[in-house]
Amino acid sequence: MENKKANCPICDSEIEIPAGTEESEIINCPHCNNRVLVAKITENEVFLQEAPEIEEDWGE
Amino acid sequence: MRIGILYNIIRKEEKLLIEAARKNSVDFELINVDREIFTPERNFERFDLILNRCLSKVKARYALNFFEFLGITTVNPFSITQICDDKFLTSLVLEKNKIPTLKFALVFNKEEALKAIEEKFGGFPVVLKPPQGSWGRLLVKINDVDCLEAIFEHKENLGGPEHKVFYLQEYIEKPGRDIRAVVIDGETICAIYRISQHWITNTYRGGKVSNCPITDELRKICFDCSKALGGGILAVDIIETKEGLKVNEINAVPEFRNTEPATGVSVSSAIIDYCIKKIQKNGR
Repeated sequence: MENKKANCPICDSEIEIPAGTEESEIINCPHCNNRVLVAKITENEVFLQEAPEIEEDWGE
Repeated sequence: MRIGILYNIIRKEEKLLIEAARKNSVDFELINVDREIFTPERNFERFDLILNRCLSKVKARYALNFFEFLGITTVNPFSITQICDDKFLTSLVLEKNKIPTLKFALVFNKEEALKAIEEKFGGFPVVLKPPQGSWGRLLVKINDVDCLEAIFEHKENLGGPEHKVFYLQEYIEKPGRDIRAVVIDGETICAIYRISQHWITNTYRGGKVSNCPITDELRKICFDCSKALGGGILAVDIIETKEGLKVNEINAVPEFRNTEPATGVSVSSAIIDYCIKKIQKNGR
């Protein structure tokens, strides 16, 4: 099955969403190299947003 | 039997956990803390256990307290998480339980820092860490008074209240690596060397990894840490010193993306198995 596609919210380039991608995952736009949040995945569409800044309390 | 996996960002680790749960036909639900309303009227009765995988430590603390208030088993519970999230609390627990660890001190100003460095550590260098820091960020190796004064002036003028708490730790020359052991309910399931020529060996900062054999000494120190904290899922960071192994830090929501390929051990499956056993043993 063909991978879903969505437009980068920053550079507007089309991004192929890798199989197995989950909602709330951060991926890198291969075109502008910015971090992009996978906000929602439906049967036909994937919605992307600018990824949130890394917070001070994030991490292990 | 249903497990709720708490998160705010899905990392490689959460994907591995999802994969492990699906592989073992475990009923689970992802709970995005950013999309929840935490109020007692909300129905969370469907969960038998909450596995905390929040990237945000602050959000995790509130969520864990909420689910514990509802009487739902949490992994790791707030009691373990709050200690591991704070390097000073971790040091106190290690000291109290006579577990070999690095010398430490907590101060709130430069003058006391200077005294502590002289009296406790016998001089420079020392390491300054934010007590609740993560991913090796804002760690400073303080080599002399000039450096100390510069750091303190910056923190006192630029930081919030939490940056005016100064956790000092002795500096130890590592043999180009340290050890990260994954410990589940007292058992060390695997360990890696984190290799770096930099004094910060955190893999988030670019440290490389390789498998570390589990020796009796390593197994014992990890077991003692687990016992002191009350079990759970831990990643124990250990430094090899001339006097033997010493615990540096303990993590309650470990990242293990590099550990699985280096050791061949499925940490994600082990975590899911632990949750299942915990439900079977304790119920709620």
